[in-house]
Amino acid sequence: MRRNQIFTEREASFLRELLREKVDFMIVGLSAAALQGAPVVTQDIDLWFRDLCTPGIRRALRRVGGSYIPPTAMTPPMFEGDGVNLFDIVVHMHGLAAFEKEKANVLQVPLGRFKVPVLSLSRIIESKKATNREKDRLVMKVLTDSLRSQSALRKTPCKAARRPAPTGRGASPRRPRP
Amino acid sequence: MHVSTRNVKSLCRKQGLNLNQVLDETGVSRNAYYTIARKACVLPKSIVAIADRLGVSPLDILEDPGSPNQRATRLIGEVNKVKSHYPEVDEENVRHTLLLLREKPIDRLRRALTHAQKPDIH
Repeated sequence: MRRNQIFTEREASFLRELLREKVDFMIVGLSAAALQGAPVVTQDIDLWFRDLCTPGIRRALRRVGGSYIPPTAMTPPMFEGDGVNLFDIVVHMHGLAAFEKEKANVLQVPLGRFKVPVLSLSRIIESKKATNREKDRLVMKVLTDSLRSQSALRKTPCKAARRPAPTGRGASPRRPRP
Repeated sequence: MHVSTRNVKSLCRKQGLNLNQVLDETGVSRNAYYTIARKACVLPKSIVAIADRLGVSPLDILEDPGSPNQRATRLIGEVNKVKSHYPEVDEENVRHTLLLLREKPIDRLRRALTHAQKPDIH
């Protein structure tokens, strides 16, 4: 079991360094959903990078005492080090468009004194639908209800919560909320 | 914006209490109460200055979170509103979402990560 998994200044400083290095990334998965108010639990923070070879990632890692472990035939790419153990690298998001297109669905969420790019809840739901693992199915109702709650209180119809948005090739990215 | 001792006394009378009882129950010393009551303005100067600059009363920039009962009533109202839009939603999910939305994003994240470490929480 990993220790000290609660998000502390160490983890925050890694995200801050990534932003300072202008690395193109976004928080995805259930940690992104939690940041947007979904009542879920998660063991790690998934980071989706546009390009894992960006030198800024290595520099950010060095500053927080972490390192990058490249993928092997048996293991995915990983971060190693006390300040970055909490982060998982995502190389592909099932059911979504390419990173560049999904950037249109990113919200800037305040995390202390800075803001981090977070994939919108509706797109996280789309990805979970596409992945369709047992653990994804278990959490789907919570995510959808959470999205509907926020939608109803904004008094705007919640199309994403009613029917799946187009995904994959040719999918048109949703406009960011004004 | 000052404390009206007359209003306080009047409210005490209406509720069958005397001022000493109220101060005892709330843990406010008579000294502290009368110190505040003597002040011409109980609000911080910064709040008054901001309100002045905006040309409004300080009350206009303050928000009353309400009593626990009022907050609970408001929450139930919001849950019902969501249910009226989406009858199929689970009330627990809605209630938890609305409560989490009152917290800062970083606290929501910490909560999600902390709970994941506790196998006895479902």
